[in-house]
Amino acid sequence: MTKRYVLVHDENKCIGCQACNVACRSENNVPESVTRLQVRIEGPYGNFPHLHFKYNRVSCEQCENAPCVKVCPTGAAYVNDDGIVSINENKCVGCLYCVAACPYKVRFINPETRVPDKCDFCKESRLARGEQPACVTVCPTQALTFGDANDLTSEVRKVLDTKPSYQQKVNLGTEPRVYRIPSRRGGIKA
Amino acid sequence: MNNIWGSMEQYDPVVWNWIIAVYLFMAGLSAGSMLVAIGLKWYKKSRGLPTEGLPVIKAAAIVAPVSISLGMALLVLDLTKPFEFYHILLNYNLTSVMAWGVLALLVYIPLVFVFAALVFEKQVLKYAPWLAGILKVCRQLENSIHKLIFVLAIGVGAYTGFLLSALISYPILNTAILPALFLTSALSAGSAGNVLVATLFFSKEKSDCIDQVHRIEYPVAFNEALCLVLLFVGLNFSGPAAQGALGAITQGVWASVFWIGVVGLGLLVPVLSSIFAPKSWRHTKGFLITVSCSTILGVLALRHFVVYAGQSYIS
Repeated sequence: MTKRYVLVHDENKCIGCQACNVACRSENNVPESVTRLQVRIEGPYGNFPHLHFKYNRVSCEQCENAPCVKVCPTGAAYVNDDGIVSINENKCVGCLYCVAACPYKVRFINPETRVPDKCDFCKESRLARGEQPACVTVCPTQALTFGDANDLTSEVRKVLDTKPSYQQKVNLGTEPRVYRIPSRRGGIKA
Repeated sequence: MNNIWGSMEQYDPVVWNWIIAVYLFMAGLSAGSMLVAIGLKWYKKSRGLPTEGLPVIKAAAIVAPVSISLGMALLVLDLTKPFEFYHILLNYNLTSVMAWGVLALLVYIPLVFVFAALVFEKQVLKYAPWLAGILKVCRQLENSIHKLIFVLAIGVGAYTGFLLSALISYPILNTAILPALFLTSALSAGSAGNVLVATLFFSKEKSDCIDQVHRIEYPVAFNEALCLVLLFVGLNFSGPAAQGALGAITQGVWASVFWIGVVGLGLLVPVLSSIFAPKSWRHTKGFLITVSCSTILGVLALRHFVVYAGQSYIS
């Protein structure tokens, strides 16, 4: 694997505005009833008057050891050299095994194609043109950093090397490629 | 959790529904019925007793092919792209338990029909005399076919458990006990199904070899109960998320399904009735039908419990 695309979500900078959610929707023509990306506002935590919320990005974690890819009976769920967990619509029969297997519950059936759908870092559109994913570009507080972690000079590498980060559900061994910088006010909650 | 934009419907952790539960039951019923029938055949043979025309074996020749075919039909209809199901027969990803299952079923299903055709050879030849040649070849290979079906039936019974246990984030499902639990409950469903169909359609005398089938019921029920205890005791020792999943048997509608359906109908009714029922009842039609229906409902409840409660608790 030559590239290792990762995404870092800084929970200190995120304000839960959902601009990323809306940008994703328009970029990828996601139907109204479903979503590839949500930022859940969880909380409040702490004691009054010192309350705070946690901003939890919910989207495909692009696992290096992806359960959805392992369970797919036809190989319709696959990973390419770019490391992005992808879906081959032609091979998929819609058994929902990948949807059930995803520990992050981010796969869903697209009501138009009848095939599982999820975040792919905009790989067909923006990434192919050398641009950043829609959510990253649109984020008003620069809470998102995206790039190739194998590139030692990349910004995402700098962020990961200098700030504490965590991944969700590491105990399952899925090795997610979405990293999160925990809010200074909140503890790390995987 | 507070979502600002968009529906939360797609985040329902219960992805597979009752159709899958019924399929898992049907596959187990078919596999169990074959295991019981072939086991009985071998048992009789080893004692030098005749094996032709036994009601239980005739029953298995109906139960196994019908249930696996219905199960398959349900499975295909449940796909989001049912008309493209053939892709699953062309592409195999061998890290997927489902792909193993497809391979096993691909051989198992035709062989079960061969088994049925050999049991009902006369009737088959009456309506399809052109099959005579094939049936003759199959008859010569009968012993090997039985061995192959037996192995594949174990595969089919167990794979349905592995299918669910591969879902790593559900504590109730992601255990090694599930395949064993599914296999033993498949045996109890299979023997009950055989007894039910044999009693209804093929049994002429009261004790028509149903006795031997009964004899396996105790160990099977014991194993099933043991697997259930192991499953939930294991959860209790596997960290907070797994402990939370114990709620499946203590609260909510699935706890009732578990205690009334799985434990009550599936285990207590058959075991207690064979201990306490007066001897004169034991081989009456009504008694056999009631007890086997109770066992079958218990296994059906178990599959529903595992599918729904299993997916409701996520780690």
